[in-house]
Amino acid sequence: MPTPFHLQIATPDGSIFDGQATRIIVRTIDGDVCIMAGHTNYCSALGMGTAKLEVPEGEDRYAACMGGMISVIGGETRLVATTWEWKEDIDADRAHSARERAEERLKNREHLSDKEIMLAEAKLKRALIRSDVAGR
Amino acid sequence: MASMKSIKLRIKSVQSTMQITRAMKLVASSRLRRAQQRVEESRPYHEVLAATLNDIANSNLEFDSVYLKKRDIKKTLYIVFAGDRGLAGGYNSNMFRMIEAETKGKECAFLPVGKKAMEYFRKRNREIISDAFPLVGEISVSDCFEMARIVCKGFADGDFDEICVAGTYFKSILSQVPQCTRLLPFTPGEVEGGREVITYEPGSEETFNAIIPEYIAGIIFSTMCESAASEQGARRMAMENATNNASDMIDSLSLYYNRARQAAITQEITEIVGGAAGGEE
Repeated sequence: MPTPFHLQIATPDGSIFDGQATRIIVRTIDGDVCIMAGHTNYCSALGMGTAKLEVPEGEDRYAACMGGMISVIGGETRLVATTWEWKEDIDADRAHSARERAEERLKNREHLSDKEIMLAEAKLKRALIRSDVAGR
Repeated sequence: MASMKSIKLRIKSVQSTMQITRAMKLVASSRLRRAQQRVEESRPYHEVLAATLNDIANSNLEFDSVYLKKRDIKKTLYIVFAGDRGLAGGYNSNMFRMIEAETKGKECAFLPVGKKAMEYFRKRNREIISDAFPLVGEISVSDCFEMARIVCKGFADGDFDEICVAGTYFKSILSQVPQCTRLLPFTPGEVEGGREVITYEPGSEETFNAIIPEYIAGIIFSTMCESAASEQGARRMAMENATNNASDMIDSLSLYYNRARQAAITQEITEIVGGAAGGEE
């Protein structure tokens, strides 16, 4: 089993996780990264994607993680996310209907302003990530 | 001396006012507890972000992000937080007094959050860049990100040379201080001791620029939480004072009432006695 390390996950709504982990996989603006114990000092901004957390005891946990940053400084790993939703907190049906709504909206994109398209696309992306996480 | 009836009516009206202020105080207390809890919860998020940005800005001297550049300040944008309702003691007026002092002689624009702020700037015909946030009670995290996007874009495009956020800092339940903090250009703080070497992916500048809006949204959010807590704290104090004043008033009014009652009885007795004495003669 890999060596555990200390990980802290914080969002504006409070601390999500503060404890030992063996592995964390998140999507940064540069692609997926995996952090394990003994990682070099590292920092990046987070994109939108599925995150996977492995803890020493217990099952792997999945979450939808959007925006924020991750940093490893002197072995301390800190993940600051704009939103972090655990798989069990995601409403798959709602994500599914949100996806359909967004797709419906984007069908007649010539009638929409740039801002509306951007909003609808962001909604669609969030819905896709949520349904992906819920389906794991 | 006023008549017994009018004093009695007055006592009744003060009593019902007291009932309202007491209820408002209780509501403010419970909301205050919730608001304080939210401040506590958002703190780790904010601290980690600020520490990381400081590290980046300090560790790399060559990079120059648009958000670090200091320009001549021609126009300043203020994000101002005030309440949605009055009856909160000096909460709103202290805020506006500070803003007036802060913006004196400067060219500035405003992004008001909260009904009172909106009304204030509109009445004075100040430049308002967005009226999308009229109610501070309904602001969510994503609204804070929307605001951060607006101000970052305004700064990067050169519309504003300085961005400040004005909110009320919750010092204690007795004292709330209006405060103005500069968001952009970002000023890195001093770092103690040696610097750590950190790998940035894809690059320190890209990372920095991606985190900045996040950081600003974080500050806006925590300022909002502080302001919301301050508003409830100020209202709670104001309502407590009002309740106390009302109960003092009721005390002195009851005294008057009893005196008036006594005077009336005495007069009645005098009249009866006088009447009886007159009948005997």
